[in-house]
Amino acid sequence: MTRLHRLRAPLALTACAGLLAACSSGGKTSSTTLVYTTVSATNPITAGAPMNPFNASGNYFPGFDTMQLGFDKQNPTNPEDFFPAIAASWTITSSGITVRLQPGAKWSDGTPVTPADVKLSMAIALTQGSATVGAGFLTQGLDIGSVTEVNSSTIQIDQAAGGSNLDFGRLVLGQYIVPAEVYGSLVPSTVWDTITDLTSTDAATANAAVTKLNAIGKIVSSFSPAKDVSAGPFVVARINPGSAELTRNPDFYGVAKIAPSEVILRHYSGNSDIWGYMKSGELDSAPYTSMPTNILDAVEGAGYSRIDTASYVDAAIAFNESDAPYDQTTVRQALAYVIDRQAVTKVGEPVGGTAAADLTGMVEAATKQWLTPAQVSSLNPYAPDQSKAASLLTAAGFTKSGSQWLLPGGTPWKITLQTVSGFSDWNAAATVISSELDAFGIPTQVKLTSDFATYKTDMAAGKYAVGFWLIALGPSASAAYQRLYGQDDGYTANADGTVTHSDGGGNWQHTPTGYTVGGAPIDPGQLTAQLATLSSTAARPVVQQLALATNAQLPVIPIWDYTAVDFTYDKRFTDFPGPSSPDINGLMYDGPGVWMMQGYVKAK
Amino acid sequence: MTTWRVLTRRPGRVIGLLILALFALMAVFGPYLYAGPLAVDPNAIYSAPSAQHWLGTDFAGSDVLQEIVIGARYVLETAALSALFAAVIGTLVGLVAGYHRGPTDSVLMRLTDFVLTIPGLPLLIVLSTIWSFGQPYEMAIALGVTGWGGVARAVRSQTLSLRERGFLEAARGLGLSSRHVIFRELLPNLAPFVAMNMLLAVIAFIGAEVALFFLGVVPFSSSNWGVMLNQAVFSGGAMDSPAALSYLLAPLLCILLITIGIVLFLDAVDELFNPRLRERS
Repeated sequence: MTRLHRLRAPLALTACAGLLAACSSGGKTSSTTLVYTTVSATNPITAGAPMNPFNASGNYFPGFDTMQLGFDKQNPTNPEDFFPAIAASWTITSSGITVRLQPGAKWSDGTPVTPADVKLSMAIALTQGSATVGAGFLTQGLDIGSVTEVNSSTIQIDQAAGGSNLDFGRLVLGQYIVPAEVYGSLVPSTVWDTITDLTSTDAATANAAVTKLNAIGKIVSSFSPAKDVSAGPFVVARINPGSAELTRNPDFYGVAKIAPSEVILRHYSGNSDIWGYMKSGELDSAPYTSMPTNILDAVEGAGYSRIDTASYVDAAIAFNESDAPYDQTTVRQALAYVIDRQAVTKVGEPVGGTAAADLTGMVEAATKQWLTPAQVSSLNPYAPDQSKAASLLTAAGFTKSGSQWLLPGGTPWKITLQTVSGFSDWNAAATVISSELDAFGIPTQVKLTSDFATYKTDMAAGKYAVGFWLIALGPSASAAYQRLYGQDDGYTANADGTVTHSDGGGNWQHTPTGYTVGGAPIDPGQLTAQLATLSSTAARPVVQQLALATNAQLPVIPIWDYTAVDFTYDKRFTDFPGPSSPDINGLMYDGPGVWMMQGYVKAK
Repeated sequence: MTTWRVLTRRPGRVIGLLILALFALMAVFGPYLYAGPLAVDPNAIYSAPSAQHWLGTDFAGSDVLQEIVIGARYVLETAALSALFAAVIGTLVGLVAGYHRGPTDSVLMRLTDFVLTIPGLPLLIVLSTIWSFGQPYEMAIALGVTGWGGVARAVRSQTLSLRERGFLEAARGLGLSSRHVIFRELLPNLAPFVAMNMLLAVIAFIGAEVALFFLGVVPFSSSNWGVMLNQAVFSGGAMDSPAALSYLLAPLLCILLITIGIVLFLDAVDELFNPRLRERS
């Protein structure tokens, strides 16, 4: 055997190993495949779950294989501001929305996307938790009365009679669109008659309609399609326990813009899994993932770029004002002066949070858009000041015995601060807040509820006097103030345009029905209900009143604005959206599938 | 005097006793040593061990040593109470089943089999959704009530062996009541065995309770050792970055030390309660 012959076997093995390594390493490209690897922000992979966007744990991936009429740009003052998707354009009127479909929009089986698909999808949307009668139906916002096929590419979607929700267009555009050929057999042909019955004046008819729609909803949500049929840029090829593999959809209307030929979505069971993927440079982008600063340093050290955007959610301390002494504005103000929000944020949400600055019930970015600079500067920032807190409490009749504050009746004031097991940011923050209140003279115990579902139920039942809560859920001001002065505060918007208030049933906040802003009395619940029906111009003075009232009355103490911190990795792809990209808030909110549709993400 | 001689015969036994004494003192006096609330320092999050903070700091800049010392009470009180509950229930069931045999034995052993088949940790996770486990005795009841099966089986075996001995036949021959025979004749002879089982159970119960806190299914208290592990791994990134490593290792080291202490001390207990071992040495 010659020397060359002896070397043949090891050389062949080495060549094979090299070839394998080239093909298998994460995100590597070969001549035929260009793989984009990430994780789904909302859906960890659930092996065996149906590829159905209406299934609670389904394997569906918005922006990749699951499409909407449009994708939200997260514009706080314009609820109609969306990226086009299945809808190429739309016109929103006071009574409804006219949608024009993308020319050439097709499903991955080659059939065109039709108005029938949209009509069916809207009917299904009304079976998925939105099916309630009368006022509730209208309050939900997605109060679709009828869907009319204008022509082969145009659909008219109208609100139910009496509905005038400003967010109607936004809600319609954000619904998942599914193929009628796959889902049509699950929904009876009489479904629109049933939907019409929801608004019947006959209670029995309306309730029967709710029952029917809920039953349809259950059938739809448990349905498991044999294969993924997608109108998006990708289609699911296979679901493994550790990842989902999606291939580019050649029938996608904008396929020319889509650079990756394949997308791998990694499974994760917790944030630490995502940290690990990023540390090894496996992901081409990663959605917002809560992390401590030491991990942030490691991730940035691995080559990731950070993009911070507004997320329109606040973490706050909420009060049940039916529990003394939290019914007193001065008490809540005093607590706001004691809590050092910067310090709490630094511990609780050091990477994805910014200490709340304005305390208006909206995130800072929204406050600055709605209020004038003069109004913003007039807001009380409640900077930490223990002497101010002490003087407010003293004026309210509180006394101090040694280092302990006593209630006006002379009993020691103790606080139980409620939070949720597993919410590590809230729990860490609660540790700091309890330490600060302890040091001020109010012994504070942190108590945990086992899960968020129980927490919400207990909160609604008024079981907690002081507890963590999410507020400022936007981006619209209407949604943000509904959180403070809506159903949780006993207000109900009725179909006839009136607003009623009740102290019972679901009212756990118990804020007063009257505030004074600039010497003028306002009813925050009435004003909040109006916001859903007002244009942004007409809504501005109302939002300003509510913001000023909230800052003065502090029904909640906002602690931090969440910041969406996304990451991109430019070793395999380039042209990612960056901080200066237009509509960056929406792009980061919607994820890489939408970036690609917008022409971002190119092979390096 | 014999006790002291047995304890000091091997250095390992003294070390074991010292470790257990240290942790017992920590549990009793720890909260007094660090009176007042746990101080936080947002500017010193996960700082490395230093002269000021011997074991570094945690996610809130609090002193890890202080948390270990304060947290010892909950951990050890829970484990000790759990072991006590398990020993009391298990011994009672084992004694009665082994002494009476027959239908009583069958019923009690089927009950024991049932308890042994209960998956402990999943059950506790489910229980934690309805019970806050805020106090050590609450956790101890849950652990003890689900953890006595093994003790009952072992005690029954010992009882079956003892009941054939002459002194018990004599007791029965004298017409003494079952209660007298069980509690005055059998129990004293089984006490060393039960005591050793109890000590071993303490190790198991420390593991179980810390696991529950580590999984994040029971109340958050920054000074609980299990919560410390949870925070270090899932929030502090101890597996991905060295910053939170001392925060992770401190409670692990404590659990390891307690385990070593109990195992070393058991050697002395074994000799103390076993005359044949004493005679040999």
